[in-house]
Amino acid sequence: MSSDDEGAAKAPAAKPAMSRFLRTGGSGSDSDDSDSDSEEESEMSQDEGQQQRRSRFLRTESDGEDSDEEATRVVKSARDKRLEEMEACGKTMDNAVKINDWVAISNEFDKLVRMVQRQQNVSEPIPPFFIRQLVNLETALNNAMAKEKEAKKKMNAANARGLNGMRQKVKKVTKEHETEVKRFQADPEAFEREYTAAAAPEAPAAPRTRRPRTDEDEEEGEEDDAFTTVGKGGKAMAFTAESIFKNLQLIQEARGKKNTDRQEQIKILEKLLAVAVTSYQRIRVLLTLVSARFDYNSSVATHMPIDLWNSAQGEVDQLIGVIMLESAYVIQEVTDEYDELAERTPETEKDGIVRIRGSVISFVDRLDDEFTKSLQNIDPHGTEYVDRLKDEKALYCTICRSQALYEKNKSEDPLGRVIMRRLEHIYSKPDPVVHALESAVAASDIKPSIVLDTEGQTSSLIHSLCTHLYKSNNSFLRTRAMLCHIYHYALHNDFHTARDMLLMSHLQESIYSADVATQILYNRTVVQLGLSAFRCGLIKEAQATLQDIFATQRVKELLAQGVHQQRYQVLTPEQEKAERQRQLPFHMHINTELLEAAFLVSSMLVEIPLLASIDTEEQKRKAISKPFRRLLDFADRQIFTGPPESTRDHIMQASKALQNGEWEKCRDLVQSIKIWSLMPECNSVKEMLAKRIQEEGLRTYLFTYAPHYTTLSLSLLSRTFSLPLRTVTSIVSKMIWTEELPASLDQAAGVVVFHRVDLSRTQQLALSLADKVNSMVEQNEKTLDNKLGLTPAWNERGDGAKGAKGGEQTTERRRGGERRGGMRGGARGGRGRGARFAQGLGNQMAGAQRNR
Amino acid sequence: MAEYDLTRTVIPHCDRHLVFPLLAHLVENELFPAEEVQKAQYELAKETNMVDYAVSLFEQLHPEESVPEEFAGKRENALSTNERLQQEAQAVLDVITNPEVAQSLRQDKNQNLQYLKEHYNVTLEQINALYNFGQFQYSYGNYSGAADYLYHFRVLSTDPDLTMSAHWGKLASDILTGKWDVALEELNTLREAIDSRSPSVPQFTSAPSASITDPALAQLHSRTWLLHWSLFVYFNHPEGRTLLLETFLSPTYLNTIQTSSPWILRYLATAAVLSRKSSSGALSARVRHSLKEIVKVIQMEEYQYQDPVTTFLKELYVEFDFEAAQRALGRAEVVVANDFFLNEFRDDFMDNARYLISEAYCRIHQRIDIADLSERLNLNKEEGEKWIVNLIRETRMGADAKIDLEKNVIEIHRPPLPVYQSIIEKTRGLAFRTQALGAAMTRTTQAPPPASDALPAEVEAR
Repeated sequence: MSSDDEGAAKAPAAKPAMSRFLRTGGSGSDSDDSDSDSEEESEMSQDEGQQQRRSRFLRTESDGEDSDEEATRVVKSARDKRLEEMEACGKTMDNAVKINDWVAISNEFDKLVRMVQRQQNVSEPIPPFFIRQLVNLETALNNAMAKEKEAKKKMNAANARGLNGMRQKVKKVTKEHETEVKRFQADPEAFEREYTAAAAPEAPAAPRTRRPRTDEDEEEGEEDDAFTTVGKGGKAMAFTAESIFKNLQLIQEARGKKNTDRQEQIKILEKLLAVAVTSYQRIRVLLTLVSARFDYNSSVATHMPIDLWNSAQGEVDQLIGVIMLESAYVIQEVTDEYDELAERTPETEKDGIVRIRGSVISFVDRLDDEFTKSLQNIDPHGTEYVDRLKDEKALYCTICRSQALYEKNKSEDPLGRVIMRRLEHIYSKPDPVVHALESAVAASDIKPSIVLDTEGQTSSLIHSLCTHLYKSNNSFLRTRAMLCHIYHYALHNDFHTARDMLLMSHLQESIYSADVATQILYNRTVVQLGLSAFRCGLIKEAQATLQDIFATQRVKELLAQGVHQQRYQVLTPEQEKAERQRQLPFHMHINTELLEAAFLVSSMLVEIPLLASIDTEEQKRKAISKPFRRLLDFADRQIFTGPPESTRDHIMQASKALQNGEWEKCRDLVQSIKIWSLMPECNSVKEMLAKRIQEEGLRTYLFTYAPHYTTLSLSLLSRTFSLPLRTVTSIVSKMIWTEELPASLDQAAGVVVFHRVDLSRTQQLALSLADKVNSMVEQNEKTLDNKLGLTPAWNERGDGAKGAKGGEQTTERRRGGERRGGMRGGARGGRGRGARFAQGLGNQMAGAQRNR
Repeated sequence: MAEYDLTRTVIPHCDRHLVFPLLAHLVENELFPAEEVQKAQYELAKETNMVDYAVSLFEQLHPEESVPEEFAGKRENALSTNERLQQEAQAVLDVITNPEVAQSLRQDKNQNLQYLKEHYNVTLEQINALYNFGQFQYSYGNYSGAADYLYHFRVLSTDPDLTMSAHWGKLASDILTGKWDVALEELNTLREAIDSRSPSVPQFTSAPSASITDPALAQLHSRTWLLHWSLFVYFNHPEGRTLLLETFLSPTYLNTIQTSSPWILRYLATAAVLSRKSSSGALSARVRHSLKEIVKVIQMEEYQYQDPVTTFLKELYVEFDFEAAQRALGRAEVVVANDFFLNEFRDDFMDNARYLISEAYCRIHQRIDIADLSERLNLNKEEGEKWIVNLIRETRMGADAKIDLEKNVIEIHRPPLPVYQSIIEKTRGLAFRTQALGAAMTRTTQAPPPASDALPAEVEAR
């Protein structure tokens, strides 16, 4: 058959399908993957009706194409067989029309349409028989409808439904084949002749294809070229350079339909790729092939088969390679209309640049997402997971390649996205892993501008990636880059820098309105910051940072490392699915047990001395760390305590020991927690903890036993807690200075002298009464503040509340404050970058203005 | 001690002319090779219009070489420009100095402009000539003249950027002429101007032009500059130290220090130490307060910046390690003596630092060996005894501390605060605060609260 005929026969039928494809394709590249996934899904369900009509048996038929020789033979017989089947179908339908059985007709018609569709899929013309049948059916339908209207006795319900359904189906199909139908109606004879003419040349062509193919499989491309010069077509033509576009179009039309054999399509495309000659062809085929691979798995829940992923990754690489080499070819998401079937070269284009519709960034995005998805689904404890993780290197290279591509094209938006992807692959990884990834990039032929420098400083790499993203005008990327940057600093124990960045970013205020993924990243960052504070020995900071997340008791969920079981409400399946999709792959997890250990130990170090220092019940209620206090109370209530098993047990028993002044036991218990081994530099951390335990043990001891002594020798303390005398003196001095401990040092005798005054009940009550009055006034002031809105500050509350130590001083301070406020008064816009202590500053300034 | 020298960090934040005294100081204290400093001075002067000065520097530097040609041309040029600018400016100046005009000038600048234009035909360009001439005078070192012209210009001009620039110029001129009272005034107005008008970068700064795009950044920049410039004023004006504390400890400037120039902490810490003595009586509470605050900041910024002065405070108030504090004080003495701004206050600093040490020491200890304390203060025994007696006399602990000469110790008995007293103190401010509350309520019913663009709650303290 000649290709012209085929084109003519195809074009009208193809149109609706084509536009549908374009729509999905467009949305896939424009929006984010998650969006496009769902869109595609809905698209599919919309098309459901049409898809049902398509053949389910396509595979058996086209499988034959695998081995060439058989293919041709099978094709021939299959062709006849199909025709026969169709005709049989038609007969049954005719019979059914006679007995007015519309249910049967409907079934048969579906079958028939499916067969015709299959016929189209293998690019054969529609047999005139089908058109005839269609026309006949239409008349029969009209008659039936007319009869039905007149008839007194209605059809039974099923039949009526069948009839109505048929009417719609026929209408649709007729529309699809409008031109043929018209031509048929005009001149049935001629139409039939045309068909036989078109079909005829194929018969002699078939044997000829057979011969060269049987000779040599490897020479396929060559043979095909030779073959096409003859100018004859057929199935074998499918894989020649000339017919590439036609085949591509066919595949694109079949895309997204339910009964398309995706595997088969991929195979065809692979062969097409092998024969593609020009860059344009290669690009086109690659674009389609990668999409086809991504299409292979339609379900959102499961991940892409790994071998497919690997080849897709390779092909994206190849695609980028081609475009990088040939600067005259550009892939754009939006292009002018162009003829899908024509070959294009830089010469044929107006400005010498061939623009091809497609989107590399969406491929990269999709690759990355699929990678994550597969990691989410693979059991993290198996070897498969590890094997899969090895693919990250290749993926990372691909991302870097695409970064290079976009750098070359100077397209900012996708470049930002790509860099973000790249950053997300490395920000949470320890240095050696990053080095491994980067070395793979360095080995590849296409490199982005930002690579690991020669000294191998990952921080500087991350820094340059982040600075690039900070410059982008996409605030979403900026936020994420900032968080990744902070995370990286925290991971590398640069607590101060990380903290300053986090505070200056002012993310705390706006993170609640961010999307869930960013919130998760934020949580991870904060948690990592806490851990870094812990590693640096900044116990208080660690405690304060980790406090928030542990107070929620949903650590795993907040870090996206596990789905939370909700007690009172049941998640809908969609919510649960969404939640599962958000989960981080296992290798990115922050170990929650380690996290808890860090949090509880720092809570212990903060809380136990505090507990010891307060003596009234009322004060005890003000806990710094509620989760810790709860656990401690629970442990207290237990009658029997066995040897510690879990991390919590260890820490609880350690806390008990610390309370009793047995710092050695406490230290041993804390150090014997196994989970520390997961912490980098765990030995130094353990040492740091031991030192802290000594110090806090001393403090606790002093608080607890001070009432029972009048003097305590410093050297004894130093011996008991194995601390140098100087440290003991320093700690005791500090406690005296801050008025935690009513005592003083006797330098001559080297002892601490306690001046404890026991308050009588009345005195105690009077004191607490005074406190309450104070807090009431404060409360009033706050209420007034709130009532006046954002700019209250008729009063220097900050100063006044703190210093109730003597009226003159207070008033003096207030005066001073006002004066200070006056100078500050103009500083309204003055949110300097690092406004760290500015709480309560707002009211001071406005107050100053009013005071003037 | 060169490692603790801040000249290098301070210079980028100063105007070219302000650097001269800094460099001159470096020549004096001989921390760096004199030749290098001279070279730097020459490089500095080369770009200004102070041709004669540059030439003399050049001659010092290269005694055997002849003076480059360019200077002669430059000199010519400068003279002619001076002539021209002076003529331009003179016209306006004549008008303004006219007492009649001076009387009729009002607060409103636009109105003034209108008035001048109508009556004396003074245009905006002519007024700008004042600015140009002032700037030019500044550039060849006639600072008092520059201050005059810039002052007049500022009174008249409505151009915000130029006014700002004139502000800076006037401040620099006042600093360089050593009129500290005027400079202080100028400093305060400039600070207000900066705080109120965020998007302005001094025109003649070497600030990268990119910073103009971001007003917040520009403001940070201006504030950093202001911090550095104000050091000149604050360490020369008699009241300067307390004012410095007040300015630098205000949240906005404290933030600026923490963000962009942590080394200012040295001056802040020194000022806090210095203010101890002058602040007898009522002031002392606030100063103690400021010390506490500064210690907190020092502790927080330790990772960014530390020098002997800050270490001294940290050891004393955070670690309570008196030995280490003493060692740090020893080094701090040298640093202070060598610092351009602080060198005059060296003795004061040492005095006050000793007081701080002994105060802390006495508060913590009940019985102190005099010999030991003297040693802590770097004093010999007799001096130490004298010192301690003075200390007891001066500070509030006079009633509690007694010297036992037999055992050579001081006994300090600090009776615990009676409960009733602490209750009185706790409740003392309440009545006043309640009153203020009431007053605020009545006030708000009269006047609507000002526009609510004040700061949102900022990040909490770490």
